[in-house]
Amino acid sequence: MIKRYAALIRNAWLVDLQYRASIVLWLLWGVTEPAIALGIWWAIAGDGSVGGYARADFARYFFAVMLINQLTIAWDSWYLDRWIRDGELNYRLVRPLHPAHEAVAENIAYKARTASVILVVWLLAAAAWPAVRLPLDPGRWALTAVAVLLAAAMRFFISFTTGLLAFWTTRATAIMELHAGVSLFLAGRIAPLALLPPAVASVAGALWFRSMLAFPVDLLTGAVHGTDAIVRGLAAQILWLGMWFLAYRIAWSRGIRKYGAVGG
Amino acid sequence: MRGRWIPLLGAFWHLNLAEELQYRANFVASVLGTLFSMATALLTLSLFFHHTTSLGGWDYWEIVALLGVFNALTGVIEAVLRPGIGQLAGEVRSGELDLVLMKPVDAQGFVSFRRLDIWRFTDVVLGLALAGYALARLGRMPSVAQLAAFALALASAAVVVYAIWVVLMSLAFWFVSVENIAVLFDAVYEGARYPVSAYPGALRFLFVYLIPIAWTTTIPASALTGRLRPEVALAAALVATLAFVLARALWRAAIRRYSGASG
Repeated sequence: MIKRYAALIRNAWLVDLQYRASIVLWLLWGVTEPAIALGIWWAIAGDGSVGGYARADFARYFFAVMLINQLTIAWDSWYLDRWIRDGELNYRLVRPLHPAHEAVAENIAYKARTASVILVVWLLAAAAWPAVRLPLDPGRWALTAVAVLLAAAMRFFISFTTGLLAFWTTRATAIMELHAGVSLFLAGRIAPLALLPPAVASVAGALWFRSMLAFPVDLLTGAVHGTDAIVRGLAAQILWLGMWFLAYRIAWSRGIRKYGAVGG
Repeated sequence: MRGRWIPLLGAFWHLNLAEELQYRANFVASVLGTLFSMATALLTLSLFFHHTTSLGGWDYWEIVALLGVFNALTGVIEAVLRPGIGQLAGEVRSGELDLVLMKPVDAQGFVSFRRLDIWRFTDVVLGLALAGYALARLGRMPSVAQLAAFALALASAAVVVYAIWVVLMSLAFWFVSVENIAVLFDAVYEGARYPVSAYPGALRFLFVYLIPIAWTTTIPASALTGRLRPEVALAAALVATLAFVLARALWRAAIRRYSGASG
């Protein structure tokens, strides 16, 4: 299995290498949204602070959003939608390997490349700009790595499952866009959850949105602290990962049965 | 020769319309999509204004008017510009562009306007309606001079946006694999959602002079809400002309490069 994965990741890495320019463009697109949000909050905060966030806090928050969003984002629903509609899924199904493994390998290759670019940019920025420096705290970084892994796995299953809806509807990607629009607020892409109206923030916490992005970001910046809060955050991530994995299993087995019926 | 591409495009659009009318459900989906993105933009703005009373010197309804302009321009982009550029990248790679270049019409005009996504024109209507509603909430009735200035500034904005797209299309000749070059536009255009005065100095400079998106939403919205004297619209027209000329020159250079490669 490890050997297969190594081959898949190598393959995905080489495919990406051919489309370097495209990857840079998507990377740029990914960082603009947090950069603009940072610009606006920077202006609003001025010399004071907003809800406990001063300019430097916003800078750290949105740099962390850029990095962690890149590490956890999953484009799979777009791929699956195309695989299912164009029949590209067919040859993937006859391989002795579940198509999800190819998708996971692609995610790893893509994220390794783009996130390391962001990390380098962050380090360079931190050298010149004290506001975006993080305190040296290996324990916290290790915990963040775990939270990022959980978030990445969950967003992968959200994206993959939504893409599977293409078995039933032609608007699977529209549903994903809808989810992206909601997550703009609830996952903390436009503002730290602490700045949302409390009712909205509690919805984000009760559903899976906080686990997607805001929790690992707050963990990295230190906004989440204390064993209790950290354990609860990680538990919520594991719970929602389990739910989405279940949803994926159901959608896959039902969808494949339906797909086969059409083809044969 | 010059007059010939108007009836030609007319014929293309006619076919296009006939084709699109088969997919009327797309109209509903497109309107719902637009309403959703407008709602998201308004909620984002409300969130900012939950913590402040003005942004870059603009108050809430003034920025809503700007968002209306943003949406109207988005409609022009989605209806006219985006359908064409997707096709071009593929044609550059496969060499099918030869067929376009051989046609006795201006290639730039033809490539830019041959395909329309007509349903997205509803974005223009919805955007202008939003701007109108914001003006009503502000209680500002624009004078005739202001409306004229707005119309000129908006037309200039469309030209500036078009020029940026032509630059991107031209870049497709150098970076052939870039089907996603439109993403670059989306990234930059995101910045046009808010008045340029809201941004820190370096970004403002970038948006006014280098990638002139300040001229796409801030200036027309300023003309509409009466923040600027109507004469500024003339400056906008000048910027638009300059942007168009530069973009056209780059397009020519790109075409020369393409011919060089195939011959």
